[in-house]
Amino acid sequence: MIDLGTILGGAEGSVPEARGKIRRLLQDLTSDPMLATRIAAVTSELFRAANRIEQVGRIDVHLSLDGTEPEFVLDLVGVGGRMDHSVAEAFFDAVHIVRVDGEPSVRMSLHLPHIEAQARQSHRQRELRDAVEEKGRDALMRELTVKNQELQESFDNLRRTTTAKERMESELNIGRDIQMSMLPLKFPPFPHRNEFTVFATLEPAREVGGDFYDFFLIDEDRFCFCVGDVSGKGVPAALFMAVTKTLIKSRATNDFSPASILTHVNDEISENNDSAMFVTLWLGILDVTTGELSYCNAGHNPPYLRRASGEVVRLAIRHGPVVGAVDGLVYGEDAESLQSGDFLFVYTDGVTEAMDPAGALYEEDRLVRVLEARAYGSVEELVAASTEDVWKFQAEAEQADDVTVLAVQFTGREGGAAGMHVLELEVGNRYEEIERVNRSFDEFASAYGMPEKVRRSMKLVFDDLLNNVISYAYKDEAEHLIEVRVELSPDRLAVRISDDGHPFNPFGRSSPDTALELEEREIGGLGIHLVQNLMDEASYTRRTDRNVVVLVKYLSHEGGANEPTEEQT
Amino acid sequence: MKISHDEQDGVAVVRFEGNLDTNTAPEAQEALDDLIGAGTVKVLVDFSDLDYISSAGLRVLLATAKKLRGGGGNLRLCGLNETVAEVFEISGFSTIFAVFPSEAEALEGF
Repeated sequence: MIDLGTILGGAEGSVPEARGKIRRLLQDLTSDPMLATRIAAVTSELFRAANRIEQVGRIDVHLSLDGTEPEFVLDLVGVGGRMDHSVAEAFFDAVHIVRVDGEPSVRMSLHLPHIEAQARQSHRQRELRDAVEEKGRDALMRELTVKNQELQESFDNLRRTTTAKERMESELNIGRDIQMSMLPLKFPPFPHRNEFTVFATLEPAREVGGDFYDFFLIDEDRFCFCVGDVSGKGVPAALFMAVTKTLIKSRATNDFSPASILTHVNDEISENNDSAMFVTLWLGILDVTTGELSYCNAGHNPPYLRRASGEVVRLAIRHGPVVGAVDGLVYGEDAESLQSGDFLFVYTDGVTEAMDPAGALYEEDRLVRVLEARAYGSVEELVAASTEDVWKFQAEAEQADDVTVLAVQFTGREGGAAGMHVLELEVGNRYEEIERVNRSFDEFASAYGMPEKVRRSMKLVFDDLLNNVISYAYKDEAEHLIEVRVELSPDRLAVRISDDGHPFNPFGRSSPDTALELEEREIGGLGIHLVQNLMDEASYTRRTDRNVVVLVKYLSHEGGANEPTEEQT
Repeated sequence: MKISHDEQDGVAVVRFEGNLDTNTAPEAQEALDDLIGAGTVKVLVDFSDLDYISSAGLRVLLATAKKLRGGGGNLRLCGLNETVAEVFEISGFSTIFAVFPSEAEALEGF
């Protein structure tokens, strides 16, 4: 039996205070916030009723790990024989009269469900792993396997631990280890990208909180990042976090919409959420070529946009409640256009609810003042300034919750997004349309001085790829629209072709044998072979219901987009 | 796409102007087939005024070369711009076709 202390002793402290202490203790021990609130309320009311007669008694709290299940034990000391047991029995698993320090007392025990929740979580994770495996997402699969192994090892360690107190502490430590091991910690994460920078920090509270952040490039142009705060603590919260993070990443590979991603993740989590855990989430997708940011806020603290001009904008809209609470919910999303130099600042409530030694809260106003204070030179500088201000405020007070801050700065391509020219076309699925694309592309190329060799290569690439789509993508006779987007930057030509045909990866075949004699040569697959060799990058992704092909041709070695080559006629 | 041809020393010289791609390949194939059908055995295709060639255009060349060889004839090519030359390299066509810088050089000894 571990003594968690006397939380109400004689004349010391009030009943509401005791209620708060019981609730907090329980919240640390179980993943069910409602249970903690309920038990705290019942206990304090029982104690109050029993004490109306005579101002004696105290409440001792213990944690028992002796039985098959951990038990939370409350001793109402000195009130034995004066309490209505039927009420207590409705809420506790066992109610007995015991003698504590020679006093007749009521002992109320509660089985902690969090170990069960843990088992359910690991079961869910296995299910998820199977689902992920089925989809062939090897990377995610490996990640989950590692987490599962870590978890198994943690549980084994936990079982081997000799004393119960150590067991408690180690569970919290394991939770924190899992939490921290899931965060991307390598900065800068994308050193070869100059269109944006990102920096994040998570300072865990002494006992683990449920914060997390994640970011990754969905493709060449799209940067996805999120910050969340899971309810609860310890291993169950860490596992919940792992599942959430995995679901987000898995969904984002095929889905461009933050609203759609969170709607899907919410459905997956809510469906069998026996543990009643939930997570606040803010998720954004930044198009790093244009600065277009789309985002969805699910019950999270509104982030801030700090414009290069110094203006600070609160992205106040919430698109729905926390993820995991309500099944079948549809989230919305909003968009902002980032200009070169703009910062986006996302954080958790550990920042605004940080407490100073006198118990005052940090509050959002103070955060805004830091954001407005001066121009920041980098994401690292902004993150450091904001967290340092929190530590300064907190001073000697204990950190109550995880403090997480993530900053993204959009810088645009070299020379700024203004140096980029865009051509967008909608093309019908008829061969004659290829000619129209090439005419428009010629005009575009000559208007912006695209090198001749690049222009010609691109035209044949259009011919071969569009021919492919028109010939093979559609099984019906209906009209379809193929979207073509061309971006010409000083250093590169990037083209995206997307169609709503049936899933087909044009680059999934092996290359033709180009060493055969004339008589043996076949033409099949040659067009794709040309595309792959003429472009510097050629990739295919299936996104929701579209095939998306992205092509990149670097211009630096061609003498730059605005310097016509000697070839130009 | 413009196709013109004349005859020089028993060689049909065909000039393609514009693009040899999905949309123009049928027309080009037809023009070359007409020549072969009329008994031509030596064909020189001049690409000097060609902007680009895609795999659909390569298909025409391959089919034409096969037909000419079947009849004891031959196909030569000239005037490839940088892009067309690159396409020939990538596709391996530069090794299976006789490619010359200019019409004069291609006609020599044909």
